[in-house]
Amino acid sequence: MSHRFSIEIAKRLPGFTLDVAWTAGDGVAVLFGPSGAGKTLTLQCLAGLIEPDAGRIVVDDRVLFDAAAGVNLPPQARRVGYVFQSYALFPHLTVAGNVGFGLRDRPRPDRERRVIEVLERLDLASLAHRHPSELSGGQRQRVALGRALAIDPALLLLDEPLSALDAPLRRALRDELRTILSGWGTAAVLVTHDFAEAYRLADRIVVYENGRVIQAAARAELLWQPASEAVARVMGLRNVLHGVVVKAMPDRIQIAWRGQTLEAVNSPTRTYLPPTDSPIAFFIRPEYVRLVRKDRSALDAAHHMNQMRGTIVGESDFGTVWSLRLRLDTPGAPAQGEFDLEVEVPHLVYEILDIERDRRWEFSIHRGSIHVLPA
Amino acid sequence: MSAEAVSALALSIRVAVVATLLNALIGIPLAYLLARRAFHGRAMVDLVVTLPLVLPPTVTGYYLIVLLGRRGWLGAPVYALSGWSVAFTWYAAVIAATVMALPLLVRTARAAIESVDRELEKAAFTLGRSEWRTALEVTLPLAKNGIIAGLVLAFARALGEFGATLMLAGNIPGKTQTVPLAIYTAVQTGEMAEAVVLVLALTVLSCLVLVVAGRLGARAA
Repeated sequence: MSHRFSIEIAKRLPGFTLDVAWTAGDGVAVLFGPSGAGKTLTLQCLAGLIEPDAGRIVVDDRVLFDAAAGVNLPPQARRVGYVFQSYALFPHLTVAGNVGFGLRDRPRPDRERRVIEVLERLDLASLAHRHPSELSGGQRQRVALGRALAIDPALLLLDEPLSALDAPLRRALRDELRTILSGWGTAAVLVTHDFAEAYRLADRIVVYENGRVIQAAARAELLWQPASEAVARVMGLRNVLHGVVVKAMPDRIQIAWRGQTLEAVNSPTRTYLPPTDSPIAFFIRPEYVRLVRKDRSALDAAHHMNQMRGTIVGESDFGTVWSLRLRLDTPGAPAQGEFDLEVEVPHLVYEILDIERDRRWEFSIHRGSIHVLPA
Repeated sequence: MSAEAVSALALSIRVAVVATLLNALIGIPLAYLLARRAFHGRAMVDLVVTLPLVLPPTVTGYYLIVLLGRRGWLGAPVYALSGWSVAFTWYAAVIAATVMALPLLVRTARAAIESVDRELEKAAFTLGRSEWRTALEVTLPLAKNGIIAGLVLAFARALGEFGATLMLAGNIPGKTQTVPLAIYTAVQTGEMAEAVVLVLALTVLSCLVLVVAGRLGARAA
């Protein structure tokens, strides 16, 4: 079954205004952004727990809310499942009681069959008679999911479903959650402020900042083509830099930065043609900067472009990778305080190249690894 | 035990039980409304319900006479129509005990209801429950311990009520004389043996209430 929903709402609260519009379809839409950006508020508006001041919410051609037409379905009538951040399991009911809570209107045999079906699908059958206080964090999450899914919701909402868990469990449950969501096939909206989590779980990512949507795109598109510098910053991208346009062509853009001319690939889908001499923002992923090996001569120009030379002025060990802070040899103030570029190399590379002793490096950046950020 | 002591004890228990039932009937919905709803006049209702807790019982009793006495705002029309007045009947003892005990139940139950996570109620709403059904199936069951504690306090208060009862119901042996009033009367008239029996009876009864309440609480938790 194909799902389609659209939301367009405004809500004014003391000191905060939410004003968002986005659409999504099958699969998981992740609302991603910093805390306090309005993500949870959006979920509550979708569920009918908070009434927006204006706008319209439509799920599968069913109008849940329409301020202009005076439509505001109560949460009871929306058929929207909600998995709360704290799970909000009923502590006085068993696992089976929780999962069956939304089925009270169905005839008893029907209800019991559905509860058993849901428990078995979520591997909870053996826990049916336990109370929530007797469950582990992962089991609680599955009960919360089962309770929301049992009613066959038109839309499933999940508010930071993994934030209540410890880091190792969190990773495992992230993958389990993905499997459950795709297996169940219910259209879902999930809130998170963790980009790795957003990317892992999403089909589509809606980026929130300060009560507004700053980009809504398929997850791969967002990863490689953030729409603006603001999106890049919310995503936590490093090496967000500022240069000046030398020449913009449909396939390439030349950028003057720190005394040299960088060549970047223009976006294949959204060609951006800023005028010469206009300021331009771009970013370079630290793991895509290549150090040039000194034991190899004759660089292949097809692979080594945008060559530069510099000194490592700082480094941090992140366990599996080293983050190196490079300062270019060109005169002038460095782009990021003490340094120009952050470069990330795996531990193995760090050891093979003996970076601990050798601090002077030549490096290159493929033009495909320099991403321009439209203004 | 004298016949008067027995009848005082029976009356006290009857008054306390009925007053506690009335408390449950009025106090639990009131506690829910005060905890969960913003309505016009909420602060006023809260004030009026709480007042008997801080006023001297005789002052509360005086207000009850003003309201329900034979010449009271409500009492006078009732008396004019039916020739009957609630004053100096055992119903008056029930009313006095109910009013005096109500703030104890309402405050305790309200705190218990307020401490129920509102997210559980929101979860119930998204699962199709009306507010009414949510209160019955989620909020009140989870506030049960606090509500039971409030009812126990209310029962104990009703059992020991003296001042307001004396004002509205009087001290008529066999009719409105509850145990606290009988103890006072016995001491005043020098019947110390009678007083001791009633004091012990009330003490045992109070201990019993506490034990039963403890059991209920343990089972609920």
